[in-house]
Amino acid sequence: MNPVRRLGVGAVAVAVLGTAVPATASAAPVITMSGSTSVAPLASLLAKGYLKDRRLKGKLKFKLAQGGSDVGVADVAAGRVSIGNSSRDPKDSDSGVVFNKIAKDAICLITNPANRLPNLTQNQIKSIFSGDVRNWEDVPGSTVSGPIDLTVRTAASGTQDAFQKIFLGPTKLSPIASAKSSNGLVQQTVKGNKNAIGYVSQDFTSGVNAPAYAGVSCNLANAKSGQYGGVRSFYMVTRGAARGGTKKFISWVQGSKVAQKIIATHWVPLR
Amino acid sequence: MLERLRAPWSDRRAERVLGALASLVLLVIALMIVFVAVKAWPTLRNNHLIGWLGFGGDVDAQISDQVNGVGRGGDQFAINAGPLIYATVLTTAVAVVVGLAFALFSAIFIVEFAPPRLRRVIVPVVRLLAAVPSVIYGLIGILVLAPFVNDHLLPDGRKRSVEYVVQLSGTSLLVATLVLTVMITPIMIAIITDALYSVPKSWTEGAVALGVNRWRATWTVSVRAARPAIIAAAVLATARALGEGIMLSMVSGGRGFSPNPLDGLSFLFEPLRPLAATIVENVESLNAPAIRSSVYAFALLLLLSSFALSVGGYIAKQPMKKYGIRV
Repeated sequence: MNPVRRLGVGAVAVAVLGTAVPATASAAPVITMSGSTSVAPLASLLAKGYLKDRRLKGKLKFKLAQGGSDVGVADVAAGRVSIGNSSRDPKDSDSGVVFNKIAKDAICLITNPANRLPNLTQNQIKSIFSGDVRNWEDVPGSTVSGPIDLTVRTAASGTQDAFQKIFLGPTKLSPIASAKSSNGLVQQTVKGNKNAIGYVSQDFTSGVNAPAYAGVSCNLANAKSGQYGGVRSFYMVTRGAARGGTKKFISWVQGSKVAQKIIATHWVPLR
Repeated sequence: MLERLRAPWSDRRAERVLGALASLVLLVIALMIVFVAVKAWPTLRNNHLIGWLGFGGDVDAQISDQVNGVGRGGDQFAINAGPLIYATVLTTAVAVVVGLAFALFSAIFIVEFAPPRLRRVIVPVVRLLAAVPSVIYGLIGILVLAPFVNDHLLPDGRKRSVEYVVQLSGTSLLVATLVLTVMITPIMIAIITDALYSVPKSWTEGAVALGVNRWRATWTVSVRAARPAIIAAAVLATARALGEGIMLSMVSGGRGFSPNPLDGLSFLFEPLRPLAATIVENVESLNAPAIRSSVYAFALLLLLSSFALSVGGYIAKQPMKKYGIRV
């Protein structure tokens, strides 16, 4: 076969593949999701649980993409997906979308294991993250000395949004803080720097010290019982009120016992 | 249809089909530049170009306001991207200059002086390094280099001296440029090595016959002849450094700060964040119109820089081609 003929056959093969793929995909209705990386593991478990619980295997399909809360909200507003996952609260700029609350998640403060800081009050957190207190000597209970290295999330993050609202309130975050683009990077930075302090979703607290917040330690049990204050909400966002299969799925997530059980494995169910 | 495609193509037909594919590439690039420029227009117009490129205020606070949709009308676009541009230029320039010197001497060693057995090992390893994805360099930077620099090179006293102005830590100018240099050097070594190989042996042999030693023959004949390739290597490496986002986002300190050389040694430990890393970190918030426009403006600047770089490299190569090898 000469090269030019081979090129022709290749082009035909590509054309055949191109027409074949959409044909097989349109067999069952599909619920598409995109958005928050914090919600994604939960959404994936819920989708599997829904298919099993309602015996919908083969009759319904889920497709899950990630990208961050704002991506999910933007996608659903533009009608690119059925559900946008969000770990941040609704903003003024979100129009035409409905935020359906599905679960809660705790945000823990973390320090290096060398710094066995037992507890932080809200006022201490405010003065540390606003940059008023800059040395660990000035924080009672700290077991390291030297300047405090603030590790925060970038402005786009849902976790950043929640931390500002829950822990800081009107207090402004210090501009000198170093901003990281994911929970994992914050965890890694704090692990590698004895002077660092940061905050992450409760899933990311292995290998670091998580001081209690206002006397309540940051763990799943305290978050579920409602004692721990640093809790934010997870949402499934729809364009307008949910309809059809999407509505059935979301009301299953919010109402059924099976869904609550799935959520309770690593997160805080609503009821 | 199938029969027609299977039949041997005439030259005329091949020329048309391949020509169409080649022009498609040009069309895609042109459309991309136009698209990005249109999207970037609101922020460039509202900040006037000079203000946008300049310094003023805290760029991180401006980005944060844009993400959260603070301000109305033209005000919401307010941004002075100076620190980000400065960070891009600084990391790229240092990495390319240091990397180029290193790459040139390594390539000379590989081609002219290395024993054949060593050469058989070094050449494939360099090519392998040139193909390592940048995120792996980023991981090594954040897991190994940054904690090392923080623990062993950065005393608390130095951190404390500027603690109310800027946070010094391992993720800094030093680690960012170091990792960037390591990342772009192998590709330069590979290109320069190929160029030195393609210098005709008779040219250096001629020089040796006239009585100069091997080092001088290499330096005055081979390297001179290979100058167009050296420029090509530098251009390629600069483009790679300019566009590096993920790795620099991991190791550069995550802060839109402008490191000041007048700060002495602290300069090396100051954080910064180049344009590409800023794009990576803000893709999550493209929902807000102001930050979307800003991110497109960063992208436009990078796109035009690499365009200017290619053209600049081409122009710089022209006078050298007379006595140089073809690349």
